[in-house]
Amino acid sequence: MKDLLRIKSLISTEIETLLNQQVKKEAYSSSVYLSMASWCNRNGYDFSSDYFFKQAEEERLHQLKFYKYILDMGGNSISPEITGIKQEYNSFREVFEEALDQEISVTNAIKNIYARCMKEQDFITMEFLNWFLKEQREEEYKARRALELFEVIGEEGTGRWQIDKHVGEIKYNAGA
Amino acid sequence: MTATLSPTTQWTDVFKTAKGAVYQCDEERCWYVDFAGKVAKFDYRCLLKLRKAVYHIDIEHALLNTTKDPDVEIIFICACDHCYVLSLLQIIALKEILEGTFVMLELNRILHERLFTVSV
Ligand SMILES: [Fe+2]
Ligand SMILES: [Fe+2]
Repeated sequence: MKDLLRIKSLISTEIETLLNQQVKKEAYSSSVYLSMASWCNRNGYDFSSDYFFKQAEEERLHQLKFYKYILDMGGNSISPEITGIKQEYNSFREVFEEALDQEISVTNAIKNIYARCMKEQDFITMEFLNWFLKEQREEEYKARRALELFEVIGEEGTGRWQIDKHVGEIKYNAGA
Repeated sequence: MTATLSPTTQWTDVFKTAKGAVYQCDEERCWYVDFAGKVAKFDYRCLLKLRKAVYHIDIEHALLNTTKDPDVEIIFICACDHCYVLSLLQIIALKEILEGTFVMLELNRILHERLFTVSV
């Protein structure tokens, strides 16, 4: 009996499901960042607003990367429905705290897919995910650095204005 | 192992229960689902859609549902030629067949991997 499933698709249905969940997660991240960009802009934190606009765009690209990979491997990508995006934040700091939470949950999700790939010996998807693992290193670094600014600069006086200015300058130098 | 239910092509048993069966046809690269009094042909996409449609039905909810509407589900699969109108018991039976089918297909995949991978 021929292996018809394998002829049609390189990835298993389980991996396909996980990748589709990731498509949704990246789309959700993009929407969250867009909402953060709006909040920051409304409250006078223009550099942070730009920073989140850029992040939103990056997440959209991540979404497309997963989306196209599924199709290229013979799977079925599902365009996600995104709901429940928070529009209001209690403080400038809270925005960055939630940005870090979001990145941590994305890292965990990707690790989870990677673990499943290892179990199935799906080395091809593992290789595809390597790019994202490296990306998450940068994403978490940047989110953590932003929060660190609240500690080192402090929010008193013109603190928040200073923090906002420095958020725009956060860069990650991987060196590798 | 092989059964010839159709005059023209060779079918292989994938999974069988008392209520129905699924056969694979290598030549046509498709599956035949023998259930609820008919034999229907499914290609790869449609078989996955059928599985999704059946797995999606909330059997527990339907069982506990005390309203008077008949316990009948219509399974209509977009872009496939078949439609099933099934009772709750039939859905449970079809689900069992599909679950067994995918276990067997997965097993077949593992066999292929092992057989055609040169071992050192
Ligand atoms: Fe991302
Ligand atoms: Fe990110």
